[in-house]
Amino acid sequence: MNVTWYLVLSAFIFAMGAAGVLTRRNPLVVLLCLELMLNAGNLALIAFSRMWGNADGQIFALVVMVVAACEVVVGLGIIVGIFRRRIPEDVDALSELRG
Amino acid sequence: MTTLLIAAAKAPVIDYKGISPLFAVAGGAVIVLMAALIRGRFAQRVLVPFLTVGALGAAIGLSIWNWHTGDSRPIVEGALAIDPLALGLSLLFYITGLATVAFAWRSRALRESGTGEFFGLMLGSIAGMTILGSAENLITLFVGIELLSIPLYVMCASDVRRETSLESGLKYLVIGSVGSATLLYGLALIYGATGHTGFAEINNAIGNSVNLTDPLLLTGIALAAAGLAFKASVAPFHAWTPDVYEGAPTPVTAFMAVATKTAAFAVILRFFLEALVSAQEQWAPALAALAVITIIVGNVGAIAQNSLKRMLAWSGVAQAGYMLAGVVVGTQLGLQATAFYLAMYLFMNLAAFGVVIARERVSEHGDGLKSLEGLGSASPLLAWPMTIAMLSLAGFPATAGFIGKFYLISAAVDGNWAWLGVMIVVGSMLSLVYYLRVIAVMWMTPLKIELPGRPRRARREVQPVAGWSPEADPRAQPEVLLVTLIMAAATIFFGIVPSPLFHLAHDVGTSISALFS
Repeated sequence: MNVTWYLVLSAFIFAMGAAGVLTRRNPLVVLLCLELMLNAGNLALIAFSRMWGNADGQIFALVVMVVAACEVVVGLGIIVGIFRRRIPEDVDALSELRG
Repeated sequence: MTTLLIAAAKAPVIDYKGISPLFAVAGGAVIVLMAALIRGRFAQRVLVPFLTVGALGAAIGLSIWNWHTGDSRPIVEGALAIDPLALGLSLLFYITGLATVAFAWRSRALRESGTGEFFGLMLGSIAGMTILGSAENLITLFVGIELLSIPLYVMCASDVRRETSLESGLKYLVIGSVGSATLLYGLALIYGATGHTGFAEINNAIGNSVNLTDPLLLTGIALAAAGLAFKASVAPFHAWTPDVYEGAPTPVTAFMAVATKTAAFAVILRFFLEALVSAQEQWAPALAALAVITIIVGNVGAIAQNSLKRMLAWSGVAQAGYMLAGVVVGTQLGLQATAFYLAMYLFMNLAAFGVVIARERVSEHGDGLKSLEGLGSASPLLAWPMTIAMLSLAGFPATAGFIGKFYLISAAVDGNWAWLGVMIVVGSMLSLVYYLRVIAVMWMTPLKIELPGRPRRARREVQPVAGWSPEADPRAQPEVLLVTLIMAAATIFFGIVPSPLFHLAHDVGTSISALFS
């Protein structure tokens, strides 16, 4: 199968994730959209790996999955911290820092 | 027997001497975490910081032991390599780490998050920077940048009971991850265009098997540049910088401002000058445009700030623009000038942040500009380092910042980018507005006796003693004062006698021999 279709799909997922990060207000959904962006990169890597016939891209994708998991853990930890402080879970309400 | 031989032949060759600084920092992180399990005041207050300092000191010693001039030497097959660029910039990370230990020692963030956790995360982040400085491969580049960033997100939020700290942590996490994802997509496209992940192979492929105008390659370079610009807080990807710098605990802000920026420039230098140097005509105009935007936006943004941390954040954006000009030039002289400026940037910024930390803990104005009022007569030991740092950041002669800017401008002119040199001068002129304002506040406002009240933001760190007076401030935090004075002295020293660092910068310039000298 042509690699173009995989690329079109991955670009679509990346754009969807980016749009979600910009427009969604719930931090949990923002984290999900970040995962979409990273996984779009994974899909592109694996498609290219198949196209070139070497394993570099697949190894890269495995490493990215580990990194993405770490990032979500830290993100959830901070969200739990915010929840404990009873700050509204809304990224637009986080506006103490401005100027 | 044969299977054993095959396994031995396939195992990667690891140069344990070359990788030893990384082992010292990463191993130090584990030891620090373990030691922090020991209960008791001594272990928490003395042992753990001492071990952190020991790990960083060992890493400095091992880096100097590995020092050699000339081209890079692979230490883990094609994944990591050491050369003067990697080693020299690693020294900057380790020195910043040492200063951060002193800055954080009495901070509230340290008590809230736990000594071992805080210093363990800091060492983890420094390990990521070390990997980033010696990355030779797209995969190690990405691992390094994430190992640097993820502990930093936690450190920003480490003052867990202060809402602004949590907010800055979450903001940094979301924006940093967007940057990482953009970078990853760019790296994936570069891999797709060239079929390789090693920097040397990518550089060989560009111009030979891959066309210079290949849309896949150019999109990949653009996305990767945008992702790295997020990390280095280059405009227009800088919007997070003031908010995160203001909300994070100030010792973490100092660490981020110096070490993270140095690491981001280490990888920008390596990625663009080693992997993509064949496509320099494609990326240089784009980076030059970013540099100009960054210099203007950073300097204009800093003018209206009343918080010192925000002002230093904007000034950091502007300084990133100056250093980006050194990358654009793409010659050995440009590489030398950027590395030299990074070292100067460390001295002057740590001096400034030291004063902010010392004042923030005792003043009712927190990190506001007002906290410096009358400092010139109240505690000259703090006012002088701040004055030196501000003059140096603005680029006054006889300070390190002047030599650094001079070096950058001469590199720009030498590489036929004279108009970028002019932009650096224009930016420096603009920056005088806000740097001189700080000096005026310190020396030209009358001294008001400050009552030891509770500060607006930070809770009081140093308990007022009987007969408390403003003069007692510096004595209450000798470690912060010591680091600040050392950094200010280095700023002056290297402004007058820059030749030792010139030699080091010259060594750094030899690490990528493919560049035009």
